[in-house]
Amino acid sequence: MSIIYVLIPIAILFVAIGLCIFFWAVRTKQFDDLEKEGFSILFDEDNKPAAKHPVKESTKPNDH
Amino acid sequence: MTAVPCFHCHEPVLTGSRFTAVLAEQTQHFCCAGCQAVAETIFENGLSDYYQFRTESAVKVSAMPEHLLAELASYDHPDVLADISRQHEQLTEIELSISGMSCAACAWLIEKKLKQQPHISSANINASTQRALIRFDSQTLPLSHILKLINTLGYQASPFVADNEEHVFKQELNRYLKRLAVSGILTMQVMMLAFALYFGEYTGIDTSHEGYLRWISMLLTIPVVVYAAKPFVISAWRSTKARQMNMDVPVTLALYYTFFASSYATVFQTGEVYFESVCMFTFLLQLGKFFEFRARAQAREATSNLLKIMPVTATLVTEQGPQSTSARRLQAGDLILVKAGETLAADGVVHEGTSSVDESMLTGEYRPITKTLGDTVLAGSVNHDGLLTINVTAPLAHSRLGQIIQLQQQTLSQKPKLVEKTDKLAKYFVERLLVIAVLTFLLWYFWWNPDRAFWVTLSVLVATCPCALSLATPTAITCALARLNRRGILIKNAQALETLPDISHIIFDKTGTLTEGKFSVSRVIPLHETQDDAAMLNLIANLERYSEHPIARAFLPYFTQALALDSIQVKIGAGISAYWQGQHIRVGSAAFCEITPVSEAMVYLRIGEQPMAAIQLEDKLRPEVPLLIKTLQQQGYQLGMLTGDHSSQAEYVSNQLHLNFMVKGCSPEQKVAEIQSFIAKGAKVLMLGDGINDSPGFNASHVSVAVHSGTDLSKNQADVVLLQPDIGLVAQLLQGGNTTARVIKQNLGWSVGYNLIIIPLAVAGFVSPYIAVIGMSFSSLLVVSNSLRLLKK
Repeated sequence: MSIIYVLIPIAILFVAIGLCIFFWAVRTKQFDDLEKEGFSILFDEDNKPAAKHPVKESTKPNDH
Repeated sequence: MTAVPCFHCHEPVLTGSRFTAVLAEQTQHFCCAGCQAVAETIFENGLSDYYQFRTESAVKVSAMPEHLLAELASYDHPDVLADISRQHEQLTEIELSISGMSCAACAWLIEKKLKQQPHISSANINASTQRALIRFDSQTLPLSHILKLINTLGYQASPFVADNEEHVFKQELNRYLKRLAVSGILTMQVMMLAFALYFGEYTGIDTSHEGYLRWISMLLTIPVVVYAAKPFVISAWRSTKARQMNMDVPVTLALYYTFFASSYATVFQTGEVYFESVCMFTFLLQLGKFFEFRARAQAREATSNLLKIMPVTATLVTEQGPQSTSARRLQAGDLILVKAGETLAADGVVHEGTSSVDESMLTGEYRPITKTLGDTVLAGSVNHDGLLTINVTAPLAHSRLGQIIQLQQQTLSQKPKLVEKTDKLAKYFVERLLVIAVLTFLLWYFWWNPDRAFWVTLSVLVATCPCALSLATPTAITCALARLNRRGILIKNAQALETLPDISHIIFDKTGTLTEGKFSVSRVIPLHETQDDAAMLNLIANLERYSEHPIARAFLPYFTQALALDSIQVKIGAGISAYWQGQHIRVGSAAFCEITPVSEAMVYLRIGEQPMAAIQLEDKLRPEVPLLIKTLQQQGYQLGMLTGDHSSQAEYVSNQLHLNFMVKGCSPEQKVAEIQSFIAKGAKVLMLGDGINDSPGFNASHVSVAVHSGTDLSKNQADVVLLQPDIGLVAQLLQGGNTTARVIKQNLGWSVGYNLIIIPLAVAGFVSPYIAVIGMSFSSLLVVSNSLRLLKK
């Protein structure tokens, strides 16, 4: 049973990492709106008529 | 004919095939041009996914009035923009509140549309708070353009500045989340280890293994007691310092006593450990508090969305011609121009022009008042039909409106204190509990068995730890808030809910609260024999179509058939004249029609030389009011009315409804004085109102309710806001208050009763701490599920 001396600290490490991620998520406001994000997966990034505009979507991050 | 639902808003299409469009190779029908335009825009921009994934139909699009669109440009003024936004290097960050959003797909739609714009660097729409956070380049893209863009999708956006309090709420909510996570996740870990220890008890366990598991449990519990339980410690410390002990004192004591006792047991390898109880306890209490806090924060957000900022501008008359300026910069002696439909920006005297002005929001007077040369006018009142030039006598801050707002802030500090009943109970309970715990320790230590003294005291503390007691009220209130919210009653101040069962007096405002706040035809007095009323009203309605005056709207329902009218002339403040079938027709005041006034009639009709009819108008009671008043009277409430209206209509309404008391011609100051005199006599007052003139009274009463059509200011001040145009909801509100009080009483009864039974057993040493923990958890669960019943009703 001496394996628990190794396994439990490892488990605690994972818990600590999990908590850190949760804190980060709260800090970056990921819990502010729980409704919209659930929908985002349903929407396609590009639609046929949107083909006129896709440049704006993809180049945006380079703008600044 | 079965009505096809509108493709955009799902309302039945009553216009046939007038509004159709071919979208994605299919012909779709629309109810109006607005919906059609929005749907076309959505498809053109490649956002048609919206229609596929939305869960709610859209709100019917109402086109933005032209003059409002023009007004948007005033947001682009650098001074105004600086007031409502923040600057991040090159970019301007602004928060908008968006109305018309019905589901998360709406948020996606707006976000997508905005992100297609090259000058918007980021746009984030929050579907639950209905707000948008946008960063854009204000040099190249004016704000008004963004607002119009959102408008093309069928939503109304307006700039919005969250108040300080809201920021604090948000931060607090995040802290709650973190504490919940810490206590929740660590409770799971400690519980897992505790199970190993439980089984070890029965099947035997190595002392070294047991010690190891205990040490780990202790380590994992430290963040819970130090971080997650911190608010309890702070609150307990504060209340002890103020000598007003609250529920957090025994909670803190039980938590820390148990924690230190278990740590002692771990370090010296003796006795029992209860780390899992410490963790679970903290988690349960945090959970209850979190839900209560979140409900309050949501109610707050919902109402502050109502507080939109309109730039208060005025048109200043200068030598170079009319010029737009900020209302705050107006000085006494300035001349301003006020067009029909505009709100007056300052107190003043009419310099030129004649018009009727609506002062009902400030004075409660329901009739528009005719203002002409030399009459005083008030800031905040609305100019109905004429063009007025006003000589400003006082800047906005010193105007009547400014005074009312000041008065309202003064009364806020005098608001009657709502004592939380549970706190009173807590104080009583806590003091006795602490005495019992100390006595138990002393008894066992000196007389019975010094070795067990420490552990018996521990089980007394754990068994009596008022977990259930402190969950009793917040859970019940949270559930009640959610339920009332579903019915269209928004409660901003949860304490108001606890005060509702004690209410003895209900005070109503008249104009806009008991009555509809608009005119309707009450009686037609014929002045000539051969006429039927319907045809005559239709004739009047035809003429009144050309008037902006609120009286004109009273005739709208009587418009049955369009008549061919010639040479129509509108004389402001007097009436309308026209030619119909060769006859000269006049509709308007008695003087305008040259008819001797008939009792209380406000509109007259004259055809040719013949006086035809006199029409009496009234501000009709809301249809649900008589039933509401009757119900409330049966329940034994004292009902009264405080109105700013001087006219005899006040008595008429009061007599019709058999109210217990009525005061007419009240200024806002008098309303406050009346309410305070009732409170001085020991009454608990609920006030219902809509206007700016009611808001000081709101703060003076125990509970205040703003009606659906009320002004932003009154909604912001009130404890309760009705979200539907039905004041019958007040009865439901009171009933909800009573049910909540009953559930709280049951909860308290159970948890106090449980404590009374367990205390003697624990003191006598019959309750091992394990049993104490089970008992505590069981009674907490019972209390929570009892509160959940409130949701279902």
